[in-house]
Amino acid sequence: MDINLLKRLIKVVEASDITDFSVQEGDLKVRISKARPQQAQVYYSQAPEVNTVPQPVQSAPAPSAAPVEKSQVTASDKLYEVKSPIVGTFYRAPSPEADPYIQVGDKITPGNVLCIVEAMKLMNEIESDVAGKVVKILVENGKPVEYNQPLFVIEKD
Amino acid sequence: MFNKILIANRGEIALRIIRTCKEMGIHTVAVYSEADKDALHVVLADEAVCIGPPSSKESYLKVPSIISAAQITGADAIHPGYGFLAENADFSEICEESGIKFIGPSPDMITRMGDKALAKATMRNVGVPVVPGSDGALKDEAEALIIAEEIGYPVMLKASAGGGGKGMRIVWKADELKKAYQTASNEAGAAFGNAELYLEKYIENPRHIEIQVMGDTFGNVYSYGERDCTVQRRHQKLIEEAPSSFIDEATRQKMSDAAVLGAKSVNYEGAGTIEFLVDKHKNFYFIEMNTRIQVEHPVTEMIQNIDLIKLQIQIAAGKEIEFKPNKPNGHSFEFRINAEDPEFGFRPSPGKIEYLHFPGGFGVRVDSHIYDEYIIPPYYDSLVAKLIVWGTSREHAIARAKRAFEEFMIEGIKTTIPFHKKVLENEDFISGNYDTSFIDKHFLKR
Repeated sequence: MDINLLKRLIKVVEASDITDFSVQEGDLKVRISKARPQQAQVYYSQAPEVNTVPQPVQSAPAPSAAPVEKSQVTASDKLYEVKSPIVGTFYRAPSPEADPYIQVGDKITPGNVLCIVEAMKLMNEIESDVAGKVVKILVENGKPVEYNQPLFVIEKD
Repeated sequence: MFNKILIANRGEIALRIIRTCKEMGIHTVAVYSEADKDALHVVLADEAVCIGPPSSKESYLKVPSIISAAQITGADAIHPGYGFLAENADFSEICEESGIKFIGPSPDMITRMGDKALAKATMRNVGVPVVPGSDGALKDEAEALIIAEEIGYPVMLKASAGGGGKGMRIVWKADELKKAYQTASNEAGAAFGNAELYLEKYIENPRHIEIQVMGDTFGNVYSYGERDCTVQRRHQKLIEEAPSSFIDEATRQKMSDAAVLGAKSVNYEGAGTIEFLVDKHKNFYFIEMNTRIQVEHPVTEMIQNIDLIKLQIQIAAGKEIEFKPNKPNGHSFEFRINAEDPEFGFRPSPGKIEYLHFPGGFGVRVDSHIYDEYIIPPYYDSLVAKLIVWGTSREHAIARAKRAFEEFMIEGIKTTIPFHKKVLENEDFISGNYDTSFIDKHFLKR
């Protein structure tokens, strides 16, 4: 299992609701588990709140299908991933006291502001390119994002 | 000392900087374009941030992306490497404003030395010999003609804001000047966004010899000796060595003194290189100062037994220079290995590395970011590795280089390795009897 794949797996788990997942490739087993709920922590790294990487562990094979499913789901035609066009910090709302721009289940149209990515003290509004329904929010409020990092999954109309 | 350094670069130099940071216990942040997601510097840094698409303009040159990456990772310093933003005064200033230490000189120093015409004037004012020429940027062709008449042909038109051979034209006669001026100006405008030119006497068959200086915030400036970078193709360096076999001790001392004088006159901080042209009578003339670490810094490291990147970081952290220059020991060469095909005009040869084996053994150093099955992206420069050898003498270093090249295997792409092997067999090279026309004369097909 190459290190870049491992890093991507960790990111997927971190961004999702999955608390425990394991996968096996040949005779290498990887188990990733994390404590819930995730607190807003100002930290960006390869292995944050994730505990163990990679330790061969006799674990239940069950959720191994989950991340694969997730990426299959996002690859389908109806589902569209909104990606960050810049490097910065992700915010759900225009200010700390305000309501988030969108929630899961909201209907959106092209041009709707979905979130803010703050870079160098400038608040950049990220707009939707498509019309549809917000299916998944992939990043936690206040977390850093890099170029082309997926932020939302939209089910297109 | 810094807690975390972001390396605003890629390729071998990013790796070079990460290595020293690790040895110093400093955390590292790599930035990368999408084309570099499998790059070695990304894998070996403690953290990595994707900053843009493959195009340099949208990634490694994009200031907001880099500053933002530093902010989200909490980096307290940025090392710009060489090329990209290393000599960008605006970037140095924005780092300052953002509370991030730029590992390099201040915006003012970069501006003063980065403007080639202005740098010459600065040097001349403190008595450093300069190549005769225009006093700053040329107003127009008419002025160029007048000055050329005064100093005598041949002359060279050069871009004020540039380097690497762009915006440069040699003019042998007065009736060629107008056309040369126009083409050079257009080229400079396209390459650097600044069409200004200056004029200087063209010194025929010179040696290119540069002095490595280091300055700290305590006013100390030291010379770490010279590097001879005469073996060039189209003003791009291919082989560098230290010390130079061409100059005697007296000239060496005079050049070092001039370099230190020039750097002190601008209270220079950090690593800098003062470039001179040396004619056959051993007269030396200042041509430009590079306000960054250079590609060929390893040859100085080998004979001085010093880590120049470490020194840069220490100076930036406000320390007084503790590694003062040593008496140089032995002789060192660096061979730039580019993914280029020497059989076809050195055209770029990106692609996948099918088989790789680096040479080893005593006195052999390879600075490279490539690995087996790595795919060289086509978006950036073609440097894939630097072979650096050290020997007890120039002859020994040459013998060692030949031996090392026998072990050096890179398959799947074309490289300049066969070219270097030929140079090492060339009589003029071995005897040290060459100037900047060496490559043209012996190796380029007519």
